[in-house]
Amino acid sequence: MTTPAARTTPFVAEASPAKEVPSKELTDVAVMIGGQGGDGTLTVSDQLGRYFRKRGLHVYSCRNVLSRIRGGHADASVRACRAPTAAMKPEVDLLLAFDEEAIEIGLAELASDGLVMYDSTSFQSKVPNSFGFPFAMTAGSQLGRPIYKNTIAYGAISVLMGFDPVVARSVLEEKFGKRGGEALEKNLKAFELGRAAALERPELARRWTVLDGDAHGWVLTTGNQAAALGFVVGGGRFFAGYPITPATEIMEYLARYLPAFHGVVRQAEDELAAVNMIIGAAYAGARVMTSTSGPGLSLMTEGIGHAATAEIPIVVADCQRVGPSTGEPTRHEQSDLSHLANLGHGEYPRFILAPGTVDDCFHMTADALNLAERWRLPVILLLDQALCQNTVTTKPFEMTGVAVDRSNFLTSGDVANLPKYAAYQLSENGRSPYAPPGTPGVLAQITGNEHNEMGHVSVNPVNRVKMMRKRMEKMVHARNELPGPHLFGDASARVGLIGYGSTFGPIREAQAELAEGGVPTRFYQARTLFPVPVDTLGKFLDEVDVAYVVEHNYTGQFARLIREALPHHHAKLRSILKYDGFSFRSPEIVRVLRGGPA
Amino acid sequence: MTESVKPVASTWCAGCGDFGVLAAVKKAAAELKIAPHDEVLVGGIGCSGGIHNFLETNGIHALHGRLLAQAIGVKLANPQLTVIAAGGDGDGYAIGMGHFIHAFKKNASILYIVMNNETYGLTKGQPSPTARLGYEGNIENPFDSILTALSIPSHNFIARTFSGDPKTMTAVLVEALKFNRDGKGFAFVEDLSPCVTYNDTFKEWREKVTDVAKLPGYDPTDRKAMFRLCLETMESGKIPIGIMHRPANGEGAADSLELKLLPDRTGPARADITLEGNRAAYDKLLQRLT
Repeated sequence: MTTPAARTTPFVAEASPAKEVPSKELTDVAVMIGGQGGDGTLTVSDQLGRYFRKRGLHVYSCRNVLSRIRGGHADASVRACRAPTAAMKPEVDLLLAFDEEAIEIGLAELASDGLVMYDSTSFQSKVPNSFGFPFAMTAGSQLGRPIYKNTIAYGAISVLMGFDPVVARSVLEEKFGKRGGEALEKNLKAFELGRAAALERPELARRWTVLDGDAHGWVLTTGNQAAALGFVVGGGRFFAGYPITPATEIMEYLARYLPAFHGVVRQAEDELAAVNMIIGAAYAGARVMTSTSGPGLSLMTEGIGHAATAEIPIVVADCQRVGPSTGEPTRHEQSDLSHLANLGHGEYPRFILAPGTVDDCFHMTADALNLAERWRLPVILLLDQALCQNTVTTKPFEMTGVAVDRSNFLTSGDVANLPKYAAYQLSENGRSPYAPPGTPGVLAQITGNEHNEMGHVSVNPVNRVKMMRKRMEKMVHARNELPGPHLFGDASARVGLIGYGSTFGPIREAQAELAEGGVPTRFYQARTLFPVPVDTLGKFLDEVDVAYVVEHNYTGQFARLIREALPHHHAKLRSILKYDGFSFRSPEIVRVLRGGPA
Repeated sequence: MTESVKPVASTWCAGCGDFGVLAAVKKAAAELKIAPHDEVLVGGIGCSGGIHNFLETNGIHALHGRLLAQAIGVKLANPQLTVIAAGGDGDGYAIGMGHFIHAFKKNASILYIVMNNETYGLTKGQPSPTARLGYEGNIENPFDSILTALSIPSHNFIARTFSGDPKTMTAVLVEALKFNRDGKGFAFVEDLSPCVTYNDTFKEWREKVTDVAKLPGYDPTDRKAMFRLCLETMESGKIPIGIMHRPANGEGAADSLELKLLPDRTGPARADITLEGNRAAYDKLLQRLT
């Protein structure tokens, strides 16, 4: 299979034993690629992901980058398996290291029978089962630019894992075909150089065979992209935001999608402007959203309270990262819930919804728009870095289940039949229909001051009590309309797991491992966090002896909310917490349920 | 006829400069025949910000300092509305300064009226950003909005008026609103509006205001000339009023934010968001993922 050109490639001979190893079949494989930020480390992850998808495998990948444009250690991991997954594999099978630091960092995640493939241009590794190739040197001497080391490595991995070379090549043809010319030609050459080098190493060549899956036609996406798409189909047409990791992609996707739908996306001068721009646009009758993360959320807090009191429907996506203050901008945490549940000065209603999967992100963003408009209040979409930015294969999003409910919206025809229009009309459930400015025949006054039904400022104590109840009791009357939990596992199990957001994936894997080991569990995936879903969660807790609340923070924020809402279940609740900036791996959950330390 | 909200009686002190603004806004809207339901008054926080309650229009009372962000949101959601933001100098030049500067740059076709009284009246007379040296112990130099506005390269309408001269103010507001309604961009009018309780400057301002249009070299299309004219007037102890800047004919005609984003003036609030109306486009959008 080696090409004549490749035979002349000056690869360093390796000192490891050169014996043929029988190919091992893999149904679940993980590769970690490490190097310096900005040198194309993500390229290999992307190419591997594309290949695996072509083989019908489910793919999940994540990035570990620093908050800087170039430099510093960066790594990416890609997992492919035959079963759907939304978590990283606990250990990686192959570590591809472009520098020594990447080996040091990556070894912690390497399986005991894992392999290391590294760039031996500038060092030799003494780590067992490591195989050096001078990727950068070959790229420089053969192709003129060291950046092609990534595709050379992809070629070498394709041999190690027994990839079909035609399919593996087609990944490059599709990726670089549009650019054509030199990019395509050199990447294909780089691929062949990598293949040839690996084929000369019998102990590596076809050592593994990654078995095909049947997930054909699935798409690769992220929570941020899914939320952006959900916003569009839910009728969202106005978005204002301010760049902040890990929320920015929502704005970037919408900047591409919305103009075709008479929609507007604005990058504001700060988060104060962003939240107030969406308030203005929602007041005018548009469906709106902003997305932000910790520091931006703090700045938006006054505006969110204004929206609740003035009864203006807004959706705020909080893409959580490590806090407080600037924290760790690129790392994962779920530590904003306590803040959100008590958001702002004074007391006001809000719904906090927590999608756990990309499909949830798509559908629940559309739901959030309906709920915000129907109840005229702020809805928080609580996301987290892993859910926002990790890529995952999913079935193509379907419009089934998407609805645009405008039942609280008054048209000019509706108002013509009313004897009186009052924007804050008192009602049994706290809902008041709304006619936006521009509706002929009626006017409205909207304010965040306490007001009477007509929207005039009022400090009358009787009115104050009525208006407080009208707003606050929305959280009671809306309960049955809020997204319900998804329940998984053994419905008779006495051990419960409770989680939200991206812990969905690790918890599902932990359940499978525990079930195999004879420990049945049931999982309550909370999709509404506030108001605390006391009916379904109370029933769940009634039926278990113990429930572990799995979340990424120090204080057990959701567990505390549950204790407050369901105090009689206090003794059953335990916390499994992680706040090191990385997502759970399933063994960290399994270990606790087997009696190990939390 | 459906009954809906009516204006309430003003809560301002007798003789407040803001009455002049209220009267001029009413007259200008009447002159341009703006239907009350097509007009939105975005009020700031402070005495002057209550103006939306005293007019027969739609009103929204913004957070302190955020009225411009909300007003721009309204305009971009529905460009067919006439949007007027009105508030005080503390609201606009202190807590809202970031949005103030960016409003010129954004150039959405809204009218922003700042009622400048050089004080925080509602909280009983603290120095505002425009307060002169020595007022209530003020040791910071006063801010000048017109010089700032002239320094931002954009295509705006910039003017200053005086509440003691409501006739001229009405004429300026009519010009400003026409500018907006033609989709030409942002109109900023600072009105000198004395606080008769905490900083009664009526008499002093009546003596000092100087109509720049009557000065030699007046040319509101020439930013450089107007900057010099305003500065020289100020240095001579006077206060320049009048139309300070407007783009020359043709210049900046298509520069307003809402027309750049929404050339047909159908904005997010009027867009078809039904699933039926968008089915094909949504299918196409979702297929981009595969």
